[in-house]
Amino acid sequence: MTRRDILLGALFLWMAAVIWAAFLWAPAAAGFLGQSSRIVFFHVPTAWVATLSFLVSFIASVQYLRTRDPRWDVRAHASASLGIVFTILATVTGSIFARIMWGSYWNWDPRETSITFLLLIYAAYFALRGAVPDPERKAALAAVYAILAFVTVPFLVFVVPRIYWSLHPDTIINTKGRITMDSRMFRVFMASLAGFTGLAAWLYDLECRIEALRRKAEEEIL
Amino acid sequence: MSDPVRQRRLWYVIGGVAIAGFVAFGATSFRKNITPYVGFEQAKEARATRVQVAGELVQGSARYVEASRQLEFLMKDPEGRTMLVRYHGPKPGNFEEAKQVVAVGSYGDGAFEAGQLLVKCPSKYQGLETTPSS
Repeated sequence: MTRRDILLGALFLWMAAVIWAAFLWAPAAAGFLGQSSRIVFFHVPTAWVATLSFLVSFIASVQYLRTRDPRWDVRAHASASLGIVFTILATVTGSIFARIMWGSYWNWDPRETSITFLLLIYAAYFALRGAVPDPERKAALAAVYAILAFVTVPFLVFVVPRIYWSLHPDTIINTKGRITMDSRMFRVFMASLAGFTGLAAWLYDLECRIEALRRKAEEEIL
Repeated sequence: MSDPVRQRRLWYVIGGVAIAGFVAFGATSFRKNITPYVGFEQAKEARATRVQVAGELVQGSARYVEASRQLEFLMKDPEGRTMLVRYHGPKPGNFEEAKQVVAVGSYGDGAFEAGQLLVKCPSKYQGLETTPSS
């Protein structure tokens, strides 16, 4: 067993415990229909991981432009992929919650509009990568684009929800900076945030290694 | 332009200006288009166009008209103006707890005719049994 296997095993157990606690240990919140509040343990962490991944992609892109080391391009690409996957997950879980609580899967609430922008902005990143055949040119253009794309992230993720009226429930950390969450829910919520961050780190590591092997194989063919 | 350090610095400045411009452009152009919710006046002007109106549900104003199978209630905007809403359809499950609602429909006949009602509940992540200490 390598260190990686042990960490992966721990992550598996941790996530299993989080899922169990989210459904069976934490209470359902008042003011929500039925058990619908439990989605907070999954929806918010996916959004958090998406934001974190875009930040990593931004940092890796800056590093690529500074060093021109292709490994930074691999990292930027891997984290942007994770970012878009988790943004899609946040969109889907959010839409399900909207159907239950608001009564509509999609009504172009500011939250829904801003996440659509985010998806389109990062979809363009992959379109750009696909359009440039030369690896070095591709990496440089993608890095510049990823930096510009990340500029919109704080605006779309943090500013829009706080300045527009929305059907979306209040953010966990409210404007007064106080956390208003039941202590059991809060513990599960934090454990889930940690678990999802670990899950993303594992996927990131996996994606980087796969991409490195893929590039190596390509070099051997050429 | 032969000095690489100066050239690099110039690129940083150009990049910085481009990013600042991008933010400013984004902030101004998204401002109007990002929210689908219109005010009462705008809803009245839009007439037959389907719009979304958000507002506070005036507590105690909701009543169910048995004959027409309609739910009527008053909505209040941030300026304190009220508007009568007539909703045709099944009452949302959490309507009783609603503080704020979004009515989807169009204005006509002295009231806003809503075909869809979206509900915002004053949800707090507090357990069902525990009373929130404020």
